[in-house]
Amino acid sequence: MSLNPLLVATLILVSSAFWLGKKKALAVAGQAGSPRLHSRPGYYGMIVALWCAIPSLLIFAAWQSCADTILTNLVMGSISAAGEALDPAQLRLRVSDLHNLVSGKVFSTDIDPLMQKAAQRYQAMERLSTMAMGVTILAAAIISGALVYTRIRPAMRARNQVEKIVELGLILCSTIAVVTTLGIVLSVLFEALRFFQQVPLTDFLFGTRWSPQIALRADQAGSSGSFGAIPVLAGTLMISAIAMSVAVPIGLMAAIYLSEYAGRRTRAMVKPLMEILAGVPTVVYGFFAALIVAPLLRKAGVSLGLSVSSESALAAGLVMGVMIIPFVSSLSDDVINAVPQSLREGSYGLGATKSETITSVILPAALPGIVGSILLAASRAIGETMIVVMAAGLSANLTANPLQAVTTVTVQIVTLLVGDQEFDSPKTLAAFALGLLLFVITLCLNVVALYVVRKYREEYE
Amino acid sequence: MLKKSVALAAASLMMASVAGTTLAAGRDYISIVGSSTVYPFATTVAEQFGKTSRFKTPKIESTGSGGGMKLFCAGIGVKTPDVTNSSRRIKKSEYQKCQANGVTDIVEMKIGYDGIVVANSKKTAQLELSRKDLFLALAKDVPDPKGGEKLVANPYTTWKEVNPALPATPIEVLGPPPTSGTRDAFVELAMEGGCKQFPFIKAMKKKDKKAYKGICHTVREDGAYIEAGENDNLIVQKLEANPQALGIFGFSFLDQNSDKIQGSRVDGTNPTFEEIADGSYPVSRPLYFYVKKAHVGVIPGIAEYLAEFSNDRAWGEDGYLADKGLIPAPVEERRQFARAAKELTPLVMD
Amino acid sequence: MTRQNKSTMEMVQRGLARRHRREKIFRFLGMAAVTTSILFLLLLFGSIIANGWSAFRQAELSLEVSFDQELLDVDNLRDANYALLIKRSLREFFPQVEKRRDLRHLYKLVSSGAAFELQAMVMADPSLIGTRRLVTLPADDEVDMLLKGYIPRDVPESERRVSDQQIRWIDELVAASRLKLGWNTTFFTAGDSREPELSGIRGAVAGSLFTLLVTLLLSFPIGVAAAVYLEEFAPSNRWTDCIEVNINNLAAVPSIVFGLLGLAVFLNVLGMPRSAPLVGGLVLTLMTLPTIIIASRASLKSVPPSIREAALGIGASRMETISHHVLPLAMPGMLTGTIIGMAQALGETAPLLMIGMVAFIVDVPGGLTDPATVLPVQIYLWADSPERAFVERTSAAIMVLLTFLIMMNGTAVFLRKKFEQRW
Repeated sequence: MSLNPLLVATLILVSSAFWLGKKKALAVAGQAGSPRLHSRPGYYGMIVALWCAIPSLLIFAAWQSCADTILTNLVMGSISAAGEALDPAQLRLRVSDLHNLVSGKVFSTDIDPLMQKAAQRYQAMERLSTMAMGVTILAAAIISGALVYTRIRPAMRARNQVEKIVELGLILCSTIAVVTTLGIVLSVLFEALRFFQQVPLTDFLFGTRWSPQIALRADQAGSSGSFGAIPVLAGTLMISAIAMSVAVPIGLMAAIYLSEYAGRRTRAMVKPLMEILAGVPTVVYGFFAALIVAPLLRKAGVSLGLSVSSESALAAGLVMGVMIIPFVSSLSDDVINAVPQSLREGSYGLGATKSETITSVILPAALPGIVGSILLAASRAIGETMIVVMAAGLSANLTANPLQAVTTVTVQIVTLLVGDQEFDSPKTLAAFALGLLLFVITLCLNVVALYVVRKYREEYE
Repeated sequence: MLKKSVALAAASLMMASVAGTTLAAGRDYISIVGSSTVYPFATTVAEQFGKTSRFKTPKIESTGSGGGMKLFCAGIGVKTPDVTNSSRRIKKSEYQKCQANGVTDIVEMKIGYDGIVVANSKKTAQLELSRKDLFLALAKDVPDPKGGEKLVANPYTTWKEVNPALPATPIEVLGPPPTSGTRDAFVELAMEGGCKQFPFIKAMKKKDKKAYKGICHTVREDGAYIEAGENDNLIVQKLEANPQALGIFGFSFLDQNSDKIQGSRVDGTNPTFEEIADGSYPVSRPLYFYVKKAHVGVIPGIAEYLAEFSNDRAWGEDGYLADKGLIPAPVEERRQFARAAKELTPLVMD
Repeated sequence: MTRQNKSTMEMVQRGLARRHRREKIFRFLGMAAVTTSILFLLLLFGSIIANGWSAFRQAELSLEVSFDQELLDVDNLRDANYALLIKRSLREFFPQVEKRRDLRHLYKLVSSGAAFELQAMVMADPSLIGTRRLVTLPADDEVDMLLKGYIPRDVPESERRVSDQQIRWIDELVAASRLKLGWNTTFFTAGDSREPELSGIRGAVAGSLFTLLVTLLLSFPIGVAAAVYLEEFAPSNRWTDCIEVNINNLAAVPSIVFGLLGLAVFLNVLGMPRSAPLVGGLVLTLMTLPTIIIASRASLKSVPPSIREAALGIGASRMETISHHVLPLAMPGMLTGTIIGMAQALGETAPLLMIGMVAFIVDVPGGLTDPATVLPVQIYLWADSPERAFVERTSAAIMVLLTFLIMMNGTAVFLRKKFEQRW
């Protein structure tokens, strides 16, 4: 990627704006008889720089988003004036061809002169547009920067203004989550609605049989009842529960040990090692679960006289539990470590042992963070696919027996989406419906969790 | 701290938006999407094509046939793929969707066949199966073993119960899920083939086709058939670990692992390259890819890619695709599709 | 009074032993937990390394090739028949092989990429033409597998992909030390390939690097900013509750759904290119943001209020308090969140499927908008390939990914250590 000259110019402009603003603030303050600066000089620099950068960014975003459409329309307009109707997509193809032509890559075989002309025109205008954009951006940056620059007075409340802008930025960042949610809902909703036109909502929500094989054969008849989400949800619940019952005790105990008992050096060594567990690709865990854990369980089961399926929820859950240990251990370790030392000392002073201090003082103090880490781990468990596909299979059995094959919502979504069936069959659409369903369920759970955590949250000091 | 992070955020925003400036650039490589079954063959051709021609190596995504069709039929233009691979023929609804979105001329290419094998570990004996055995062992509802023209939920738990000539091991078959084209083909070719051998079911075909297909195509869900995902290497390894189980997968995996697993004989034929190629092995299905005619001549190299694929050096009996496990189509068929590739004959479906 | 005192002391004394025992058990449990996790890690590492180390060596054939002038036309070096050069050289070594069929088997010992290597060699240095020299070329993957012992020699001929005749030839070559295992540089310098002996990891490493760069540059600042706002500035009202629930919920959204979102928003609405690390990075940013925000908020929460009060008390503004005092103290926790989030992003394949990064891409990407794939995708694709030689390469790729991860974590751990303190 070559450095874009526009970017370089803007960056230079912004940094010089900062420097100029700061200098002027100092100069203004240095004048005899002038009042003291309201804020520290750096803030004056920052406000000028910000006013330089923000307009250019806005213009850039706006230009990028509509330039292409306008250009295409312009070119199309001039061509249809020549009495020929063309498809915009075709024009873009031609433009791409032309780009290749210009960069000297490969020659096109047959060239429609009209198209060729249109494409050339498009390219010329595109160049012009980029140039104009550069000029506009730089001009806007200079003008708005200069405006603020001239206003620098000792009494200017530069800090408050900068802080206001930064706070706005922070608000913007925190709304990204809401926008993402909105985007997710929108991108699954329509397809999900199409699914519900073909399969009644009640069958989907309360049906106890998940068997997408029937629907392929007879498009509608008989397909009802085979898209019941209950077994898939139950499978998700079971596997996540098994994983959590591995990860929470091990993770929490490890966190306690590391932050309270282990020496500094042990902790510095062990913690990053454990974090690697979260980064091992899930394919590795999948092979591990399917080829080592599952046969072991099967052998153990046979010797105990139990019938264990070769794909079992237990194998997948156990291995997944190992994967999410660091979610619990590392995050909890950090919050436990951050509990004020005075609390520990107070407790020791009363004669409590270390373990008593931990269970009755430190853990309650660190509870919000620990709950957060556990929620995060549970989320990861729900979202995991690879391990489940490889070790627990894809058969949706409604069962409470962890030794049987089950499947999870995420696994079904993935297999349905990458399947070979046609894309408007209810099978593919079911993936979207499942996604929406999972989304709604976790949303409800999170609302509940929020109130529960808030109720039990304790503040110290 | 704050200053630093503000600067960092600004820089990264800038960088992200700058990357946007290069978006309008053209595409100088072929974009291919589609089936994961065709993927190993298409990539082989693409690599060869990239090395021997002056064009860039095409980009091949493995999206599944359905997803590939969706992208392919979204319209024409640089942002849409030029070619989609498919492990089944294009469906009529997909063809119509394509037409509606302006993808009017589609060239169809059949590249060859993929044998679907039923295999088990070498630690146990090779099985001699018939399609009828497969149907009886794997269907959800089977004709009542006590006789009569009645269907009952599949009662068989061991192969011996299905056919006394088979060993008394429990029925345990690892196979692809219902979303897979491999499964579709297996059900249609193997199970339906066995299903038809019951005269009363065959008679149903004329009366009530839906019910007929329902009987022949529905796989049992009581745990004897295990939906094992589409990682065939994993199935091979699971078969090794569990010698009683059978697995269903593509021929190329049998070919590569012939020291560990063996293909069961089906209806008296062995799943070997020769017997699948001459059509005596009953379970094999054609593989396809589809090309957008509107992109030929605009995106560089499409015609040449087609020529490479439809060359006997690639898809012939001794071609490099046969090395990778593709079963070549008969000479006549290859000639017909090679001509279609040259003349870009569009597909007509009505 | 004394009686009672005594009994209290007795009770304490009696309880003490129990309490100390409990303390020991508790401590032991903690140690056991840590040991278990480390053991798991070692087990995973052990199995990966055991499977993958052999991929770093690769069978190489040394052949005496005469760069014949008749075959190599200086004006058209590209299209010369390099395969023929190799074939001639092999025939020279095995003059007794004459039948057409046998010759074909003989030629198969050399990788199909060898001809292209000769081509590159001659095109880089045309002065080679007319000379005769010993050239090291990659052997076919099956030869490689046989040498490494992954193809058994003791099974019937029909059950392996290398014939008895070929094994004899291979043994002859090995005896003449023309065929041996050498360091596999291709693996680190090449992009993907369908021929195991020509395939490499470099394309995927570059793709992962670009993707993660975008993810890190966006998700860390945005995540920290969001956490700061929610924890320090936001009034507690419905809207902030809504944001909080949303963030927690996003953490539980399956990653493939983020792929759907990326497809709908970045590709279809914003018109970004398919298969680009830029889009991959954006999607992974959305996916890792909740992790980072949740971890950052937890660590902001754990900064004692006294620190804030002290700063505010001496006249700092809220923004200054936070940026000068609270953030540095909360940094270790934030970095932990970032490590875990990035680790997850590094290992993720499902969301990339939807935006076209699960693909066969031979060329090494050179920028944010070139088509690219990432390490976990490469691992996934190789794990699904029929060729046996890809098994060891899968494990080797995992080793590369883990190295990548360890280096990334190392940096973060170093930073975390710098910031960490107890108060």
